Amino acid sequence: MSLQSSFIQIFISHIKREFLINFRSLVDVTSIISFMILIVTLFVLGIGPFEEKLRLISNAIFWIGLILAIIPSLEKTLQRDYENGWLDQAITSPTPMELVLLSKSLAYWLIVIIPLLISLPLFIVLLNINLKLIPWLLISILVGGLSISLIGIIGSALTLGAKRGNILLPILIIPLIIPILIFGIGISEAVRINESPLNNLFLLIGFTLIYLVISPFISAFLIRIAISR
Amino acid sequence: MLYLKDVTIKRGLKTVFYNWSAKIENSKVTIISGKNGVGKSTLLRAIAGMIPIEKGIVKNYNNEIFKDQIKWGQHLIYIDSKNGLSKDLTVFENLKTWSEMRGWKTSDDDLQKALNSVEMLNHKNLYISQCSEGLKKRAALSRLYLSLLFDTEFWLLDEPTNELDQKSIILFNKLIQRFLENKGTVLLACHELKLFDFNYALLNLDLLKK
Repeated sequence: MSLQSSFIQIFISHIKREFLINFRSLVDVTSIISFMILIVTLFVLGIGPFEEKLRLISNAIFWIGLILAIIPSLEKTLQRDYENGWLDQAITSPTPMELVLLSKSLAYWLIVIIPLLISLPLFIVLLNINLKLIPWLLISILVGGLSISLIGIIGSALTLGAKRGNILLPILIIPLIIPILIFGIGISEAVRINESPLNNLFLLIGFTLIYLVISPFISAFLIRIAISR
Repeated sequence: MLYLKDVTIKRGLKTVFYNWSAKIENSKVTIISGKNGVGKSTLLRAIAGMIPIEKGIVKNYNNEIFKDQIKWGQHLIYIDSKNGLSKDLTVFENLKTWSEMRGWKTSDDDLQKALNSVEMLNHKNLYISQCSEGLKKRAALSRLYLSLLFDTEFWLLDEPTNELDQKSIILFNKLIQRFLENKGTVLLACHELKLFDFNYALLNLDLLKK
């Protein structure tokens, strides 16, 4: 009777659970997209009808919009499960906490990135992004988004149980996100001036891989501290 | 025999237990009683491995339990007032994802039986956000039935009877009887001792701590 599932199966079932929770109440997903649309629209309206100005800073607007839109939802990734006691259940189970957290950040990445990629055409029109840039933009969003969610889970674990977590979190994680912003914009800029964007892309991938390895361990450590309080 | 020797447990900056020892018999029910704030929950959480033990050792037979937290987790079910139920999922989905998280392969049939054991089968498609506190507690206690199918040794229950009605308490008693037949050990923090119709050992923290 007592057949144990493998780590892969546990991992997949965790991702399924996150999808079930997040797509049942679509609020989180839609709020990220609509918030990003708002930020981008404000920038575009603020600049006014000057195509020249927009072309210079469109990449920056896109990345800043992406980061600002994701940050408010990052806090909730762990907060909800901390409050309802799910993390207590996870820590008293035979499954390593690191595995739970890795699946959580990957699930978060998929949940945020998929709707974002679907709404990408809208941003391309709004920001007048050059068509030859699109494949590079897709890759850099995919890789950069993964790093943002891996860093975000660290920040979310760090602010568990803090009274003003929603203010503390951006202050803590934006400095960590700066490299993603730099490399992400670097990729787009290199394509714009007809140079190879691979240098920046590899740096972005390397940066993401580092976080892929260390993020589950750091956040598991932080959660154990939060739970022991 | 769960054996706590000279343990010091801190919660934040407050020392709750200082050089404290206790023995907990296996295959029995031990009820931890004591006034509010004496450290019943802290003790349970420490044994479950959520609060680190600063000093001293906790042994189950001759194994130090915290040497391998994952192995210890296999033998352990912990339920407290927070229940660990996600409000966006139904009662059934919560039980299913919980058993998957523990790496148990359970059929839908087993899950339904588990819900039936606490008479939650009629409510299985109810969202947790729509449940009353009593229903939530029953949904959480359905895990206990599931753990009977796998070799779980310990149930650590923090005030499990608080929100339950009379009928659910009878069902809860039945679950504990079955667990005792399986040679399980129950550690239970509770105020109301009259509710239980099984033999138990009492660990009164008011008397033992000083």
